[in-house]
Amino acid sequence: MYRSQKLSLRYYTAAVALFGVMTVFGLLSALYYLYPSMLFNVFNFNMSKILHIDTLVIWLLMGFLGAVYWYLPKELGREVEGMWLAELMFWVFCATVAVVAVVFLFVQYGGANETSLWLINQGRKYVEAPRWAAIGIVVVMAVFAYNVIATCIKAQKMTGIMWVLVLDLIPLLAVYMDAFPSDTNMSTDLYWWWWLVHMWVESTWEVLIGCIMALVLMDVMGTSRRIVETWLYIEVMLVLGAGILGLGHHYFWIGTPQYWLSIGGFFSALEPLPLLGMVVHAIYDAGTHRMKTNNQPAFYWITAEAFGNFIGAGIWGFMMTLPQINMFSHGTQWTVSHGHFAFYGAYVCGIIAVLYVAKQHVSGVDVLAGRAWKWGFGLLNFGMVGMVMALLLAGMAQAFYERAIGGSTLMAFTTASENPWFTSGMYARMFFGVIFAAGYFVLVYDLLTSPKRVPVLQAQPEPA
Amino acid sequence: MTPDALLETAALMGLFVLAGGGYGGLYSAGRLWARPVLIRAGEVCWLVAFAIALAIAVWTPLDVGWKLLILASAIVYALIPPFTWRYLERLHHEQESHR
Repeated sequence: MYRSQKLSLRYYTAAVALFGVMTVFGLLSALYYLYPSMLFNVFNFNMSKILHIDTLVIWLLMGFLGAVYWYLPKELGREVEGMWLAELMFWVFCATVAVVAVVFLFVQYGGANETSLWLINQGRKYVEAPRWAAIGIVVVMAVFAYNVIATCIKAQKMTGIMWVLVLDLIPLLAVYMDAFPSDTNMSTDLYWWWWLVHMWVESTWEVLIGCIMALVLMDVMGTSRRIVETWLYIEVMLVLGAGILGLGHHYFWIGTPQYWLSIGGFFSALEPLPLLGMVVHAIYDAGTHRMKTNNQPAFYWITAEAFGNFIGAGIWGFMMTLPQINMFSHGTQWTVSHGHFAFYGAYVCGIIAVLYVAKQHVSGVDVLAGRAWKWGFGLLNFGMVGMVMALLLAGMAQAFYERAIGGSTLMAFTTASENPWFTSGMYARMFFGVIFAAGYFVLVYDLLTSPKRVPVLQAQPEPA
Repeated sequence: MTPDALLETAALMGLFVLAGGGYGGLYSAGRLWARPVLIRAGEVCWLVAFAIALAIAVWTPLDVGWKLLILASAIVYALIPPFTWRYLERLHHEQESHR
């Protein structure tokens, strides 16, 4: 095993641990909706929500880094360049996350001054980490970019996947710089802030997970390099084509010019089209291999990713993307429903697939099968689908009673929050959240236990 | 937009993409297992998607531009699964002959 693959395992371990933290704070955040005065002035809802969302971003990022460090030596046929720096950065990353978590838990907030901005909380949604920590993340990402590019140069080898990955590193790093400004004009601030949030999630991350999935498909299913690279180019073209200006759907109500309504609505409406192509591709690939593979869990999670992405981003997104509907739905639990499903489908399923690839390699078995992973797969998917349905129900009730009937007044907000459709949605979300958490524990148990040795179904496919 | 129209329009839009996905899934499954009945079921799904697009165009209070976009999407949905499938087959055949 390469040194970078050992580092990758550390990243996976940290990612799975943070996945658990995210789940805990997700459950806690859900509880606040049932008991709004819970932990009042001790640990308020906003901090729980911050920890839930920030750990989501961080664990996925760690999963991505782990996956690239795993596949880089395999792809380029040599150890990753600058490993000592990469290993140092792992600990810097972990220490930063730990310190920020402690500050969020025990300090929580400070005065409206520069000190708070630098040491406690930047106060910008999803990138709340104080400025020193944000600088730390930039350093980690810069070293990651150096590792990838320097290894390509040393190896004197560039594959199609590596070209896409290297080019993706530029916006991945550059767009994160948007985490720093603190414009006092809220419209201007949000305008640039959305570059970070949208461009990371719906552009650079999509390309990154596309590269990772291309490598996984060659590894797990033996799909030829030419096929995965061709698809990667098409996917990049379509995702960026619809995704970059799809940014406009975040600009509807933040004080930007009216033309964003047309641009955002149009390009967002195109987003389900490439996802439909991905569904067809997933079925084709599954059929080509007759659902047989030597790594069943990874195969099922890859397939779940294609469907989850289509349903979560495609169906859920399209339902609320046009401005006339979005005017009522944005900022309700409806958006939360879409966010959960889209993130889960696009990224979580993919990262879990990569975890199982590593598990097969580490445990040294020819075939990874068993029963526990099926329980994890079932509980996580069932829990997520249940949660998003419950959130959709609650969100539609909010859009209907609070926004469309009540005109978004404070009274309407209160009335909608007490509406049985909303409250029952919140209880259902809690119930399915617990099921999801159970799925997480089964996943961790399965990842940690040694697999049984079973006969080989077929020779592990070698990518062309 | 009235409160009722809001929910009806959103539901129709969600169902429209769902039916499009159903078409893609069933069409692909039909081609995969050489089951014409699944391909037909997929085509029925597309007809449902198109009917929903028409319903959106006729009954909902969306602006004309969005209605046209949804109708155009319905037509593009019809093309994506067969085109994608054919392209995938060609790619795989080329790869096999290359080997």
